[in-house]
Amino acid sequence: MLTCDDYLIPTSLDDALELMTRHSGRQRIVAGATDILPWAREGRAGDVHVEHLIDISKVAELNEVSFGKGRVRLGAATPFQRFLDRDDLVKALPNMRHCAIWFADDQIRECATVGGNLANASPAADGTPPFLALDAEIELARREDGRTVRRRMPLSQFITGPGGNQLVTDELIVAIECDALPDYGGSFEKVGHRRSLVIAVACVSALVSIDRSGRHFDDVRLAVGGVGPKALRLADVEALLRGAPIEAGVIDEASRLPLDLVQSRTRQAYRREVFRGFVSRALAGAARDAGAEIDAVEAELEVHHHA
Amino acid sequence: MPDMIVEATVNGRKIKKIAQTHQRLLDFVREELELTGTKDGCGAGECGACSMFVDGRLVKSCLVPVGKAQGSEVETIEGLGRTGELSVMQKAFHKAGASQCGYCIPGMVMAATAAIRVNPAVGDEEIKERLGGNICRCTGYQKIFDAVGLARDVMNGRLPATALDEDAAEGGRYIGANVRRLDAPSKVSGALKYAGDQVMPQMLHVQVLRSPHAHARIVSIDTSEAEAMEGVEAVVTSADVPGKDGFGVFVHDQPIMARGKVRYVGEAIAAVAAEDLLTAKRALQKIRIEWEQLAGLFDPDEAMQAGAPVVHDYAPDNLVKHIPIRKGDVERGFAEADLVIEERFETQQVEHAYLEPEAGIGYVDPDGVVTIVSPSQNITHHRHMLAEILAMPINKVRFVMSPVGGGFGGKEDMIYQGMLALLAIKSRRPVKLVFTREESIATTAKRHPSRTSYRMGLTNDGRIVASEIRVIYDGGAYGMSTEGVIRKGAILAAGPYAVPNVKIDTYGVYTNNTPSGAFRSFGSLQTQFATESMLDMAAENLGLDPFEIRRINAMQAGDLTHTKQELKSVSLLQCLDGAEKASGWETGAPTVRGATREDLDGEGCRKPCRLGARFHAEIPAPKLSEVA
Ligand SMILES: Cc1cc2nc3c(=O)[nH]c(=O)nc-3n(C[C@H](O)[C@H](O)[C@H](O)COP(=O)(O)OP(=O)(O)OC[C@H]3O[C@@H](n4cnc5c(N)ncnc54)[C@H](O)[C@@H]3O)c2cc1C
Ligand code: FES
Ligand code: FES
Repeated sequence: MLTCDDYLIPTSLDDALELMTRHSGRQRIVAGATDILPWAREGRAGDVHVEHLIDISKVAELNEVSFGKGRVRLGAATPFQRFLDRDDLVKALPNMRHCAIWFADDQIRECATVGGNLANASPAADGTPPFLALDAEIELARREDGRTVRRRMPLSQFITGPGGNQLVTDELIVAIECDALPDYGGSFEKVGHRRSLVIAVACVSALVSIDRSGRHFDDVRLAVGGVGPKALRLADVEALLRGAPIEAGVIDEASRLPLDLVQSRTRQAYRREVFRGFVSRALAGAARDAGAEIDAVEAELEVHHHA
Repeated sequence: MPDMIVEATVNGRKIKKIAQTHQRLLDFVREELELTGTKDGCGAGECGACSMFVDGRLVKSCLVPVGKAQGSEVETIEGLGRTGELSVMQKAFHKAGASQCGYCIPGMVMAATAAIRVNPAVGDEEIKERLGGNICRCTGYQKIFDAVGLARDVMNGRLPATALDEDAAEGGRYIGANVRRLDAPSKVSGALKYAGDQVMPQMLHVQVLRSPHAHARIVSIDTSEAEAMEGVEAVVTSADVPGKDGFGVFVHDQPIMARGKVRYVGEAIAAVAAEDLLTAKRALQKIRIEWEQLAGLFDPDEAMQAGAPVVHDYAPDNLVKHIPIRKGDVERGFAEADLVIEERFETQQVEHAYLEPEAGIGYVDPDGVVTIVSPSQNITHHRHMLAEILAMPINKVRFVMSPVGGGFGGKEDMIYQGMLALLAIKSRRPVKLVFTREESIATTAKRHPSRTSYRMGLTNDGRIVASEIRVIYDGGAYGMSTEGVIRKGAILAAGPYAVPNVKIDTYGVYTNNTPSGAFRSFGSLQTQFATESMLDMAAENLGLDPFEIRRINAMQAGDLTHTKQELKSVSLLQCLDGAEKASGWETGAPTVRGATREDLDGEGCRKPCRLGARFHAEIPAPKLSEVA
């Protein structure tokens, strides 16, 4: 059980940062609470008392979504459900709705925030691979001498390992900024034990644009999570596919490249097989989403596309 | 206790109430507003028993700190059908029979309502997707999906409102007719009070100190510091038991709380009743115990070996029970056999996972009758046992069975009711205990893990001539239902097949694992799994169709079972015919099938999991202001 002496609900960023600094060492941030409440239960952290819980979900700036110069800026408190029900986000971030549909369930997604997902830095977090594919940057802020100090860095640098990130004491994630790619197709694949409410064993997200003929990959972006300590972009696969024909043989070859990443000591052969299958499914799915005729390719690859 | 004032609109009414800062919206609604239709099934976002609307969006209220509800509009199950009439969705659940224990149903109705509000034309696949966060342990979901489809069609005018009325029983015959359940309205409306929903004036809250060790001697327990705490009204241990301390479905080997030693991780050691839950939790931390570790016993085969650690002094061989069955002469049978198959099988522990975690209330009524309200599956037996444990005449002990939010055998054991009785007597106040999901999983009985050695002899024409079966059931730390489970397992071990020579031995053994108990099928699943697997292997070896080999051996009306019960009627052959037809089975031995089978992946087979039905559906953009 999570207990606190007071539950603070600031509405501006400056107030939130000020409260964090004032109660330094005796406070914790709550956004959607979907990680922190289950964490404070038996078998995990158990009963936890924090003097001040600071709920940042009502901070105006953290809830803003804006578009500009080919980029999208998402306030850190944006819940994952918005990737499904906001038309502008569905268009601009073609892989995020696929990520969202596999993320928890409709109800958790109303609360679970992008900032909380990235701050938690779980190797199995579903948000990381699709944001890596979108070339995301993280904006951070903290209070120093009564002023708000901001800095930013690529997401690939922000997450340092399982549960580890670059946040310093009393610093907040303010926003995630990423590419707007309305002309791309996107996909997300997840290996888990069931359909809803499942933490990924591994996940992968692809973004694909196709040339005018519809027969060649133009740009390809691919990122995986859950196979190592942190999620990764697969640059060699992307390079191999750029400009290549959208054919089963090509996708199959590309899906074999990253197999060395699968270093888990148990059930190696099985894991490699699964990994190869779902990388090719992600690539084919994103190509389909981008408008490519892909039925024959998928049949040859023996991948079932998800809706 | 730190608190805050919460102002919000709940089910259309403005409220202003004091909340404790640590409360979740679920606690606030249930405890401060006394709206108990919303349930707690897991407290971790996994089950959906707590689903409610906040500002028009469906959320799991067990993951919403109450502070988040400040100034918001909340709608709970009690807010549907506010005029006293059930909503269309609730009526559809009633009509479709979409409620059994009912514990998940308020959340399920809320999720279904949300699906229709977001997309009034929601398709069948999308319904499944939108209900994905809500778990039901009882209904099997089909009736729930039927209900949502029915409500949608009535709301869209595709079906008349009379579609929600009860079907007339044809020719006055009720068997085989679709009859609405009498108790469904109380479940779809959230009005039904499970034990955890009930409160009494002056009620105290109970928490239980549980063992971190699997096998250890309790050298001393010191509860004085806990008892001295402000707000703590009573602390009990085994020393407070006045009568003969022991309960169990067959052998009364389990004390109300650990006596002298603990035998499994999670065993109750002491219980505290305090003014509030947090004080009770804090008091547990003040109880001091001195331990002496004992060697643990975790393997059921090892339990049967000489020199193994002993779990109960009365059973130095760690044996709860041995059930032997002998019929004919198996050695002669094997001598006649053309084929002898030998195999080993293992099954694992299984949790019942009823949606309602254990909960109960204990009080002493004005006439001095100790009363326990709990979802016990076995109240009469509990009453008799508790009277002995309390050394009270039976007319001074009363058990009230509250609605059972799922049991499946898991609520047959009196594992917490005794503590409630002792605390109610000691504190002279009503006391209430509600298990967390983690506590329920860690401490209650499981399905028996089993190890089976099987030898089956058959003739070339597929007749079983001998079966020799030896099964070891891991009973865990206490006897509970083990004796009955292994007896049933033995009786049914050789299957519904006419085998002339049978030798069966089932053993229930003690270990320091979580106790095993009753669970649907009561011991026969373990042996049926082995027998049916043996028959499939035999069919493969003999080149017979798996249905055929079963028909050849099936018991018929007039046959005697292996324990000499005469069967007056047997429906096994009809059952096999039905299964063969329904599965689209292709006749033939398993060996001739393989890649050429057409009955796999064909019509009626479930397709791989998909999500994203809504991407193709015509979804009107959600207008949250309208549906709030
Ligand atoms: C039933 C269930 C299913 C789930 N399924 C999935 C799933 O499918 N995929 C998945 O990836 N995750 C899943 N999760 C995990 C969780 O929902 C996500 O990680 C979610 O995005 C966390 O966000 P939050 O806002 O709820 O975090 P919170 O619990 O509020 O916070 C998590 C941590 O991040 C910190 N934090 C939050 N926001 C900020 C910020 N802006 N700046 C700095 N620190 C911050 C908090 O202090 C806390 O330590 C699931 C959780 C549950 C309960
Ligand atoms: S999801 Fe809230 S109680 Fe289970
Ligand atoms: S009716 Fe759904 S859990 Fe019992």
